[in-house]
Amino acid sequence: MKTKSASKKRRMGRIGLYAILIVITALMLLPFLWMLSASIKSNTEVFQMTPFQWIPDNPKWDNYIKIWTKIPLGRFIGNTVFLTIVVTFLQLLTSSFAAYAFSKLNFKYKNGLFLAYIATIAMPWQVYMVPQFIMMRKMGLNDTLLAMICLQAFSAFGVFMMKQFYTGIPDSLCEAARIDGMSEYRIYSTIMLPLSKPALSTLTIFTFVNTWNDYLGPLIYLKTESKKTIQLGLRMFIGQYSAEYGLIMAGSIITLIPVLIVFLCLQKYFVEGVASTGLKG
Amino acid sequence: MEAAAEKSRKRRDRKRALVAYSFIAPNFIGFAVFTLIPIICAFALGFLKWDGNNPIEFVGLANFAKLADDTFFWAALKNTLIYCLGTVPLTMVASLALAIVLNQKVKFRGFFRTVSFFPYVASLVAITAVWQMIFHPSKGPVNAILYYVFHVQNLPNWFGGKLILLTLILFSVWKFMGYYMVIYLAGLQGISAELYEAAGLDGATTWQKFRYVTWPQLRSTTFFVVVMLTISCFKVYDVAVMLAGGGDGKLGTSSTVLVYYIYQKAFQEWDLGYSSAIAMVLFVLVLIVTIIQFRGEAKYEKD
Amino acid sequence: MKKKVLSALLAATMVVGSMGSMAVLASESGDEEVTLNWALWDEKTATYWSAVADAYMAENPNVTIEMTDLGSSDYMTVLATDLSGDGSDFDIVTIKDVPGYATLVSKGVLENLNDRIEADGIDLSVYNGTTEQVTADGNLYELPFRSDFWVLYYNKRIFDEAGVDYPTNDMTMEEYDELARSVTKQGFGNDQIYGAHYHTWRSAVQLFGILDGEHTVLDGNYDFTKPYYEMVINQANDGVCRSYVDTNASQLHYSGAFSEGNTATMNMGSWYITTLISELASGNYDADLVGDWGIVKYPHPEGVEAGTTLGTITALAIPTSSENKDAAWDFIKFACGEEGAKVVASTGTFPAIMNDDVIAEISSLEGFPQDDASKEALRTAQLCLEAPYDTHITEINTVLDTYHKDIMNGDISIDDGIAKMNEEVGKILGE
Repeated sequence: MKTKSASKKRRMGRIGLYAILIVITALMLLPFLWMLSASIKSNTEVFQMTPFQWIPDNPKWDNYIKIWTKIPLGRFIGNTVFLTIVVTFLQLLTSSFAAYAFSKLNFKYKNGLFLAYIATIAMPWQVYMVPQFIMMRKMGLNDTLLAMICLQAFSAFGVFMMKQFYTGIPDSLCEAARIDGMSEYRIYSTIMLPLSKPALSTLTIFTFVNTWNDYLGPLIYLKTESKKTIQLGLRMFIGQYSAEYGLIMAGSIITLIPVLIVFLCLQKYFVEGVASTGLKG
Repeated sequence: MEAAAEKSRKRRDRKRALVAYSFIAPNFIGFAVFTLIPIICAFALGFLKWDGNNPIEFVGLANFAKLADDTFFWAALKNTLIYCLGTVPLTMVASLALAIVLNQKVKFRGFFRTVSFFPYVASLVAITAVWQMIFHPSKGPVNAILYYVFHVQNLPNWFGGKLILLTLILFSVWKFMGYYMVIYLAGLQGISAELYEAAGLDGATTWQKFRYVTWPQLRSTTFFVVVMLTISCFKVYDVAVMLAGGGDGKLGTSSTVLVYYIYQKAFQEWDLGYSSAIAMVLFVLVLIVTIIQFRGEAKYEKD
Repeated sequence: MKKKVLSALLAATMVVGSMGSMAVLASESGDEEVTLNWALWDEKTATYWSAVADAYMAENPNVTIEMTDLGSSDYMTVLATDLSGDGSDFDIVTIKDVPGYATLVSKGVLENLNDRIEADGIDLSVYNGTTEQVTADGNLYELPFRSDFWVLYYNKRIFDEAGVDYPTNDMTMEEYDELARSVTKQGFGNDQIYGAHYHTWRSAVQLFGILDGEHTVLDGNYDFTKPYYEMVINQANDGVCRSYVDTNASQLHYSGAFSEGNTATMNMGSWYITTLISELASGNYDADLVGDWGIVKYPHPEGVEAGTTLGTITALAIPTSSENKDAAWDFIKFACGEEGAKVVASTGTFPAIMNDDVIAEISSLEGFPQDDASKEALRTAQLCLEAPYDTHITEINTVLDTYHKDIMNGDISIDDGIAKMNEEVGKILGE
């Protein structure tokens, strides 16, 4: 009797859970559907509300062809892919490295230095953009992809995030390894790195998305057309007096695909037990 | 004997410090050159008058004194604080709840996770357009329900007056909960299943498991989430401009926020010193919140 | 590299040379190979840039003009950032608006053109009084390249169906208000006809006030804008125009409002003419709805000459960091002069010089309304710049924009909003 009502309760809970999930999904998917719908519309139809049509009378499928010919989108994608891969790689490497020291090693001024890292995140970029730009130009980095790499690869955000995850991993693991005579570098590479797959996945996703979608940075630094990125390219459809929202949305959909693929591939590392199995071993 | 031990300990400490610095160096060098130095310059700017080109002038505390009498600064500060107070806790709770749900074995988990992340990566134009349709003062479904179901006569304008901040808060929660869900998801993976098993053997309820296992185990993640949320809320800009700014991206006193004002001062008027002074206020506020959190975390660790 | 050294040397000799010999040297330098870097926006979509550059290069084969597109939306921010410190690569910069011009002037990054204008005997009167409005303490740092002015667009079909006479080239504000009301039809959904439409910009509402020539946005007292705020807000309350709140929340672009076919009249800049023509030609606009359109001169306050209207200018300037100032000046003379104006007009865009040739060129565009009133509407009497030059213009604009938003949103009353404008601008001017 008791088990029956418990299983019934569980089933009800299950149904409730899925109901909530479906409502949330619908809410979250709305912008995506809107983008899809807008990408086959003409300018005048995009923001039209009365009547709102998901599929316009004359769907403009050729928007998906036009974006490749109206701007050198292929080239922009190439630049963005290059930038994103390099930045993400450097970011993962250097931040996880630094984060290890901040969480598992002791040294002078540790807390102060760490606070400095966090504090810089609080500074709006708009405030130090001009001194930064003048400095970068003096270094000869104006109008180069290298400038974007330098700006984005060493962010404090990555260090902060990785440090917080490493803090969650028990110190006893490292202590045991130290007693076994392992060097700090070995501990980092053989114990910490494998344990931090979820965190590394998270950082990869965030860095990837940020670099991929960055607009203001490339806008200030990249001027030659052959060096521009996707976000700059999409803005080319916004003119002084009119904007081609159909094309912008078609472009956004296409450039969204890699982001979603990266996310889908990496989310599978968010699986229970990664850390616990590590602990046992 | 003792002196020798002391000496060898010192040597060991120094070696340890060197190892630690070698870990930090690759990131720190890049960070210092490209971010820290310009930020220190920006700090100095708070006491200077500079338009980006003409000779720099030292003005002492004049920029800060000007803040006291600046109507727009106070309006922006007030709006930003209200926005933060609403957005930070709501987003945190929503993202944690979502992460816990999507950490369970539900069908199509990967799909649900990806979808939740969606508003964060979708183009801002698209999500504001959707939001504006839903909350449209005369044509949106929200006001239609208020009118037909609840017979509200004076339909609210969700994009002006006092309501715009509420709209902004709800919008931000929606946009950012997927982002912080990802962080919480990663944090949840660090909790040992043994802890839950042990709690289960003690007959703990779901709530007790959350209260005594999940929540304490997530504290370093929560610290990160709260600090990052606070910072990004204080720095809110594009969301406000898109949602409240409408066609020309201009904000009125009911929706203006600190970074909008900083942007105006810096890039419309090129008063870099003054914009830096405003940023300093923002900076100090964030620092206070961070240090409180930091202390709290350190205290927790000691306990 | 060699080119750069050469041009640097050349520039050095220029500086040493006296002002009088400058013009001579400049014409002598005509044989050197020069590359000029021109900062602009919308390189791909707006045809007039390359048309002017090509026309100039055809006449001056030794000059190569490279165009750098900084994007339209954040153009002035990017440009001003690039001109900060020394080391910008630009030789010619386009200046989008007067507030942007004012900041660049106060940053000291633009070359003073007074001597060059005098040496080459350039007649500034062709610019319809606009150069006077951007003269900074007696110095001019830019030459107008393009100019746009505000007109009243109207949809003839709606007037025909309502049996109301078309707007005319000489309407006072009262007549305009009356006309908009008489053509309005209250209805549900698509049956609603709006007599007027105002875009969300401050200039579309508040700046009716500066047409009398006695007031400008620099005044510090904005009581003169009250009748216009009242007119527009009353119209919105009476269903004559869309409310600001609705327009804003729908992200309704003025082109969308007009092309929906339920907007009888709309005040907007002359740049919209080419958009209208091309969108109709491409079939993006429904010709049955808006195919029959016309323009008339901007409505004006009582006692002001018809044809007095709001204007904006887009201008060209030389950054002080340029190494090819003389070559750049030669190009600017061409682009902003009669020849350049003709080229710009041939692409359907309004050049800064408006003369009979240019008017004929534009009104003969395929798709331009054929009635005489529309052609006549292109003749302006007095151009009041939306923002004249002043060192405080950007700060003043920020204040006005903020309270404009508050008033239109209904967050504060018109009187309170204007009182706030007076108070806050007073603080700026009092400094």
